Amino acid sequence: MLTLLAVPLTLLTIQQPGAIAQRLAGRVSPNVAALVEQLGTAGSARGLPVDPLIQKAIEGSAKGIPDDRVAAAVRRVATLLDTAAAALREGGLASDTLAITAGAFAITAGLSANDITALARVGARPQALTVGLRVAGTLAALGVPPAENIALVSVSLRSGKSAADLLLLPADVESEVAKGLTPAAAAAGLSRAAAAQARHGPPPGHGQERPHPPAPPHP
Amino acid sequence: MSDHDFHPLVKQLLDGDLTLAELPAELRAEGEEALRLLAAADRTPVSMPAVTWRVMAALERRRRRIRPWLLAPALAIAAAFILWIWPARLTAPPPLVTVRFVLVAPDAKAVSLAGTFNQWDAHATPLVRAGATGVWTATLSLPAGQHQYAFVVDGQRWVPDPGAPAVDDGFGRRNSVLTL
Repeated sequence: MLTLLAVPLTLLTIQQPGAIAQRLAGRVSPNVAALVEQLGTAGSARGLPVDPLIQKAIEGSAKGIPDDRVAAAVRRVATLLDTAAAALREGGLASDTLAITAGAFAITAGLSANDITALARVGARPQALTVGLRVAGTLAALGVPPAENIALVSVSLRSGKSAADLLLLPADVESEVAKGLTPAAAAAGLSRAAAAQARHGPPPGHGQERPHPPAPPHP
Repeated sequence: MSDHDFHPLVKQLLDGDLTLAELPAELRAEGEEALRLLAAADRTPVSMPAVTWRVMAALERRRRRIRPWLLAPALAIAAAFILWIWPARLTAPPPLVTVRFVLVAPDAKAVSLAGTFNQWDAHATPLVRAGATGVWTATLSLPAGQHQYAFVVDGQRWVPDPGAPAVDDGFGRRNSVLTL
């Protein structure tokens, strides 16, 4: 019975081939479209997202890149998605297409599969981890080395920072760099501050409730 | 008893409304017979094992008609609804964030924006030149998430945003990155 149940479920989770062709219609050559369809269908059966493949194919064609190079770029994205998914699984996160996409972006930006696994092991919820991975990729694109990058994002995730606060990290780094620090030093400084804040709580007026005033003495 | 057509007074006797002594003498024999017949009646509760057996057998046959393999498609449809249709209806779209794009390109005749948010359409999002300063701007509301983009100058030159981090685009160029 489980087998019979698994078959329709698998069929339902596979990206509809028509949907891929529809998005690519008129935007890429038939050869590139066929490749995306093949890679996308196989990938979605393994729980991988299809959108990054479609986007890369459309991007390449829009930029006037020859078909063979577009195809190579699409294959590279498919490999990155596989790598990111494996790294996240290693870190304990089950298939989550947004997190996989964010992980693939972070690898493109310069992080390694081990870095992705390290972030996944922090144990944040998938939504927070996805934001963390996007931020880590952005920090890498800003020139923050992997060690300082992962330390900063990990401590921020552990301390339960909101998505809005996580998204401010690249701007915070840029602000410190504008003052003359290197990206590594800026990230390290922000990590120390975040760790201290996690130990002692936020500074007064930053999300912590004010203590009640002492009761007046009895007459 | 249906063969007997007792006298109304005998019927009252059977109903307990009269006693045998109260019956007229000519009806006492009939009254005694009626009481004898009543006493002989079997008052054991009626059991109908055959009926019970047939009802239960019918139920059992109906139960056996539900085959486990018939449940699989039903469960699959239910699971598909939960996994596919239901989340799609429940998942709220990401909130929109207003972003202003700026490029200084004094010599450009036209500048547009292409990226993951507009399917890399180089004509979909033109920037507006602010006076004679060579500053081109566009303000967009984009869904929260991560976007890659580039400026397209004069319809052919793809230029990354100098004010944003950038990553390799896989084609030997750079894409700017916007994380919202």
